[in-house]
Amino acid sequence: MEEILDEPVSSDDLKKFEAKYYKELGNGLVSKESTFNYAWCLVRSKYASDIRKGILFLEDLFRDGNEKERRDYMYYLAIGHAKIREHPKALHYIRQFLTLEPGNQQVQNLEVIVKKRMERDGMKGMAIAGGLVVAVGSIVGLGLVALAKKK
Amino acid sequence: MEEDILTTLKILIIGESGVGKSSLLLRFTEDKFNQDQSLTIGVDFKTKKLTTEGNTVRLAIWDTAGQERFRTLTPSYYRDAQGAILVYDVTSQPSFAKLDTWLSELDLYSTKNNIVKMVVGNKIDKENRQVSREDGLKFARRHAALFIESSAKTKDGVQCAFEELVQKIIQTPGLWESTKSNKTISVDDDEQAGRAPTCAGWQCNAI
Repeated sequence: MEEILDEPVSSDDLKKFEAKYYKELGNGLVSKESTFNYAWCLVRSKYASDIRKGILFLEDLFRDGNEKERRDYMYYLAIGHAKIREHPKALHYIRQFLTLEPGNQQVQNLEVIVKKRMERDGMKGMAIAGGLVVAVGSIVGLGLVALAKKK
Repeated sequence: MEEDILTTLKILIIGESGVGKSSLLLRFTEDKFNQDQSLTIGVDFKTKKLTTEGNTVRLAIWDTAGQERFRTLTPSYYRDAQGAILVYDVTSQPSFAKLDTWLSELDLYSTKNNIVKMVVGNKIDKENRQVSREDGLKFARRHAALFIESSAKTKDGVQCAFEELVQKIIQTPGLWESTKSNKTISVDDDEQAGRAPTCAGWQCNAI
């Protein structure tokens, strides 16, 4: 199921929709559609800087969007945040979405994936912290042994 | 269990909004039906193992949104797909008429020229049918596609649609064996190096 977070945008697509967006920007009038398409490509990028840029676009779109569009923006905001491992923010958008559409399968599945990743990250954190405790413990232990030997 | 899987196949589901693409997928993957299935945002993804005629494959299924505003980006998901399910609603003549457009989209963007297509007429449980079975079948024949009528609600035809599609893909030479040939190459390399083939070359590609 995690492919939904791992499938990368092709660089051709990213370039194409980026060019369209900047062309419109140059003409002084950017359509919502071009902004969304570009943002959609950006949040699917492999690079965190692209994803963050995409999130900024989606936040703007969300602010000005109507209800029907907002569900799309919320979903991709959740995807974007999940991809850069900002899981609490991803969950925030997922929950906001599910209060509006409690039975939405697609978003429920995303919630499961994000929670799983969050747990995995938590375990990694604990493993690192646990490793530190062991390391510090053994250094202290060695010190004590050395001290005992000195006496 | 992983080594029992022959290959992973990429399957697309396309068609107009509201014809039941996500419902077909939900029925197939989880055997559920949701009367108030919500509109898909962009693209959704599900996987499912399927065994047919002694072959087990893993299906990676991309369920695309039918809504107009996603049209510009969904074709980027067509890349490398080995099978495509084109869905229409038998109670909606316009959804059937639009299949032409969906087929040309597919021909334009799919990267495998021998991609297996299946036309599915969904919602046969409903009474107000507008598209006859014959018309559906004729259309499919004209475009060298498989054809089935289904109801995600009553389960009719759903499992069968996926099974037939997979059988046809497996029977199509050159459509899915690329991972298999990788395996052969690594084994050959081992043999050329004068070593007994170890499991390394096999297992890495056997997903």
